[in-house]
Amino acid sequence: MSRRRVVITGMGTVNPLGHDVESTWRAMLASASGIAKTTLFDASSFPTTFSAEVKGYGLAGQVPDAHRHRHAGRHCRFALGAAVQAWRESGLEGFQGLDRSRLGVYLGSGEGSLDFDNFTSLLVDAWRDGRLDMAAWAELAFARMDLHREVEQESNMVVAHLAAEFGVRGPAFNVLTACAASTQAIGEAAMQVRRGDVDAIITGGAHSMIHPYGVTGFNRLTALSVRNDEVGTASRPFDMTRDGFVLGEGASILILEDYDLARRRGAKILAEVLGYGASADAFRITDQDPQGAGATASMRSALADAGCSPADIDYISAHGTGTKQNDSVETKAVKAVFGKRAGEVPLSSAKSGLGHLIAAAGATELITCVLAIRDGILPPTINYRTPDPECDLDYVPNTPRKAKVKVCMSNSFGFGGQNNTLIVSACR
Amino acid sequence: MADRRVAITGLGVVTPAGVGIGPLWEALLAGGQSVGEISLFDASKFPCRIGGELTDFSARGYVPKDYRKAVKVMARDIEIAVAAADLAFRDSSFVTRASGALEMTVEPGRLGCNIGAGLICSDLDELGSAVNTSLTDGKFDMGAWGRSGMTNLTPLWLLKYLPNMLACHVTIIHGAEGPSNTITGGDASGHLTVGEAARLIERGGADAVIAGGAESKLNAMGLLRQSLLGRLRSDGAIRPGEACRPFDAGHAGTVIGEGGGLLILEDLRGAEARGARIYAEVVGFGGACDPGGIDVKAPTTGSLDLAVGKALDDAGIEPKDVGAIIAHGTAVAAEDNLEAAAWSKALGQTAQTAPAAAITGAMGSLFAGAGGVELAVAVMALHTQTVPPTVNFARPADGCHLNLSSRPRGAEIEYAVSAAFGIGGQSGACILRRYRK
Repeated sequence: MSRRRVVITGMGTVNPLGHDVESTWRAMLASASGIAKTTLFDASSFPTTFSAEVKGYGLAGQVPDAHRHRHAGRHCRFALGAAVQAWRESGLEGFQGLDRSRLGVYLGSGEGSLDFDNFTSLLVDAWRDGRLDMAAWAELAFARMDLHREVEQESNMVVAHLAAEFGVRGPAFNVLTACAASTQAIGEAAMQVRRGDVDAIITGGAHSMIHPYGVTGFNRLTALSVRNDEVGTASRPFDMTRDGFVLGEGASILILEDYDLARRRGAKILAEVLGYGASADAFRITDQDPQGAGATASMRSALADAGCSPADIDYISAHGTGTKQNDSVETKAVKAVFGKRAGEVPLSSAKSGLGHLIAAAGATELITCVLAIRDGILPPTINYRTPDPECDLDYVPNTPRKAKVKVCMSNSFGFGGQNNTLIVSACR
Repeated sequence: MADRRVAITGLGVVTPAGVGIGPLWEALLAGGQSVGEISLFDASKFPCRIGGELTDFSARGYVPKDYRKAVKVMARDIEIAVAAADLAFRDSSFVTRASGALEMTVEPGRLGCNIGAGLICSDLDELGSAVNTSLTDGKFDMGAWGRSGMTNLTPLWLLKYLPNMLACHVTIIHGAEGPSNTITGGDASGHLTVGEAARLIERGGADAVIAGGAESKLNAMGLLRQSLLGRLRSDGAIRPGEACRPFDAGHAGTVIGEGGGLLILEDLRGAEARGARIYAEVVGFGGACDPGGIDVKAPTTGSLDLAVGKALDDAGIEPKDVGAIIAHGTAVAAEDNLEAAAWSKALGQTAQTAPAAAITGAMGSLFAGAGGVELAVAVMALHTQTVPPTVNFARPADGCHLNLSSRPRGAEIEYAVSAAFGIGGQSGACILRRYRK
């Protein structure tokens, strides 16, 4: 029995380099950086004073009825904009033949941002003799805190907003596996289509951790770049001088559907999802397995699922965070999977210009793979100056490159060891 | 290749009514109540001051000695999951890395994990201690925080509160190197993870998966948020143990509980080959959502009727085949009414005839932890051919026609169905079948 084929028919994105797919792509091919001094809060005294923010974005004009989503958090607003773009491109907007109970949504969305000012002032105002006076806290909290600000922090609320916008009645999931979330969401969404549980599914991810406690958390882990004097070039995946990742924010959404449905309704097919792989390091919560066994297993299982051999892969969109550990481990894992051919397969990190969109990273990077296939051009790893002997592959340094691209692999590895890989190709 | 069949071979539950499936089942059959005054923190100024607490609970006794230090970086939600995982693997006689054995029951790369989680609240005392080092004129000073205040937090602070850390600790402790997912779908999480786990085994992506969920909202932020939503029983006019009354005429809001349930799912042939005790099979799954879930003040069941209908289709059975219903039963009046109507829509007459039960009366609402426990209870109902009582159910609420009882009932059950829904409007349903050799 042949399995159902899964194709991508729509894509949308809101990220530090652009508020739609084409402007983002143009910026990437111009080797642009979306990284600058943090403006969302005063980070001037933090170990890291910069980030990759989405700039000048508002929901008005992005969705038909912005009022309906007035309670949406920052990342949810990004997701709504991206989803409307994807939905319109897919042509499903005007298509009457889609049973809404067979339309699903499977996101990799992060939690919403805390109501920082109120939350923090409560900790101060209810602090008595070195501890929190819970009675005082409760009285103040009920006076100050807002229902919607609180509930919208639950990570499944982005799913709820998209379901409302598109009338979804089918299966609805949110996965939150840190930096791997939206890659995992797309992989699992593809499985839903393949099995026939849905005919079409809205997938991708959204996240913003550019708030004081988010940056605090990553700074305490010493995971972020602290190159405060060289902000524009701070994100240096695979470069010898890399010193951590740069926190970004945004959302990217894709529409996946059954190939036969897409053909039947004459949709423009952007690419096919060929394979999905997943694994766990089961190593440590703080570190990746230094041998890259989990990353290797993830790539191998995606290849097997796609029915591809390493020789079929034309380009790899790397996880490439710009941390010391990730980039060398990922390089090691690519070598383990691709063997002698490793040096011939170009791989690059979109995070060099976009920053790390955390839960939204994988979906954004998969979109770049689809565009690489469409245009026959590989996006570069910018800020690459000094080779690292531990990272000795072809990272497409600094400028885009023309290439024949049919099949791409995209990697995402989450904090805590959840690894995911997708393989997409031009639709045959 | 024909789809592989999926067996359930282990149950691990951590609930206010009982820790471990034996103690929980016994407590449920006895109709025990475990909701009481909140003692974990001073709730005196909250409108609702009762909850289903885990007493004297720590994950320390559930991890290998060399992992005990890591318990310090586990939020309570994570501790619950870690304990439930240990109980589940032991219950299934499954050898994992935790035992120190060289060979596991299945290869590490063939053991998957999918654990549902919620929004984990940071410890307010811990964060408050750090925040209060950074004041200028009695107000929080961001400059001081960035320069030095934040260094009062342990370097691993963030990792205590990431929802995927439930799964990450479990995979590390037990050496599960297969696919690992974390579903954050509110109360539907447990059913969604078990459904996904069954799919993963079916398609050959793993030979065994630990799945379910865990959560604790029994903290100041959790209590605040549920209070703001208006879902909690806050009249104080009733004994705490009797406050949470699913589908009962006196239902007047839910009570927050804490806990979780994890199940071991295995490829049936593999389970038979290793001589495992097989409790039941997972034969159907369905998920759905309600586009109205965006309005968090309006009650929703997340289109539970659609989820149950899909699960029946997936199992290839008719409503009349259903022998037991484990309902979600939040005890929020409007939600109970909608849920009862959804069961009727999905099952027709069977919704009123098949013996049904809800566990919230015994322990309160467990949120992302609910589904795993509800499914474990459904498994036990099949395994023992007994439907447990619904604690605090005395007289049906208007329009709630589920066949509930305050006593345990023996029944001939071939198929049991369990479903749940949460804030935001997502739902999941699973069909389980009695196992016969």
